[in-house]
Amino acid sequence: MIDPALSSLGARVVLATSSDEIYPPENIIDGNTETFWISTGMFPQEFIICFAESMKISRLTMHCYNVKTFKLEKSISDDATDFEPISENELEHMEGHLQTSDIPLNEMNATHLRFIITSGHDHFISVHRISVER
Amino acid sequence: MVKLRARCLVVGDAAVGKTALSQMFRSDGAHFQKNYSMTAGVELVVKSVSIPETSDSVELYIFDSAGKETFVEPCTKVWGQPSVLCLVFDLSTEPSFRSCGRWLERVRAHSQGLHIPGVLVGNKSDLSSRREVETSVAQEWAQSQGLEYHETSAKDMENCEAPFLTLAQAFHALYQDRLQTIQNLA
Ligand SMILES: Nc1nc2c(ncn2[C@@H]2O[C@H](COP(=O)(O)OP(=O)(O)OP(=O)(O)O)[C@@H](O)[C@H]2O)c(=O)[nH]1
Ligand SMILES: [Mg+2]
Repeated sequence: MIDPALSSLGARVVLATSSDEIYPPENIIDGNTETFWISTGMFPQEFIICFAESMKISRLTMHCYNVKTFKLEKSISDDATDFEPISENELEHMEGHLQTSDIPLNEMNATHLRFIITSGHDHFISVHRISVER
Repeated sequence: MVKLRARCLVVGDAAVGKTALSQMFRSDGAHFQKNYSMTAGVELVVKSVSIPETSDSVELYIFDSAGKETFVEPCTKVWGQPSVLCLVFDLSTEPSFRSCGRWLERVRAHSQGLHIPGVLVGNKSDLSSRREVETSVAQEWAQSQGLEYHETSAKDMENCEAPFLTLAQAFHALYQDRLQTIQNLA
């Protein structure tokens, strides 16, 4: 089952290292690829998504632009601590098109997901949508 | 209102005045060090610049990097992914101007094809009787390399803000441009 919007399930973004008020990190979890969060300079960039309760996730999809490398980590604690690495990913640049990163997660449990964008194909990157399959 | 962050590399030959310039900028002209104290690694200076006619600002993370050859290689390890470049030479030392091409190559090799807005700074304009590089020559080379040219004197507090303001504005313009591109994707 694909969730239309993580925010409708009570998920929140609890940290983001960049903020342009017009493009808040909540745009990542609103289920819409037309709205986005944009980084405002320098790497690494990071954001953390917190679920309302522990979720079992079989697949995660991220729509983004200009991302080159990013790390995904998860936590099963209630307070965004003890993150463990899940994967390191590299994406090709796609001029004029959103990148899609599909990460199979094999029914993994998590209360928090942390995304660390370590480099970009440009000075600024944007993340448009993150969705999960349960 | 947005606060951008830019990683600003300051490079150029030893003793051209990179540290003097960075410190004058940081302290709004309160700190000129007369005695030369060589930078052996990278010194970080952080300062925020307001972009005129907007409520936006750019926080510059200035990486004042060693000019002496033996220290350069280790310095490049902490450069990371640079946002903007401040390339400095000494107007009274012609060889420091001739080195600029090599510095530029080094930074470009480090930036993985990314466009890095940059300025060329001819420092020590106060030493007018010892000038070895003409403004027009420096200007022309800067232009050929896509850099904006500034002359400064850290000693006389002359024009020290201008190069950094130019860089902050260029980075801000880049942000606006990329934002436009991304908005058009959706
Ligand atoms: N006359 C004059 N002297 C200057 C000026 N700027 C710097 N100096 C002097 O030049 C010397 C070198 O300045 P620094 O700022 O340490 O040079 P640097 O480029 O940081 O040198 P490295 O750290 O070795 O790469 C010092 O003695 C400064 O006082 C200037 O505008 N005019
Ligand atoms: Mg120095």
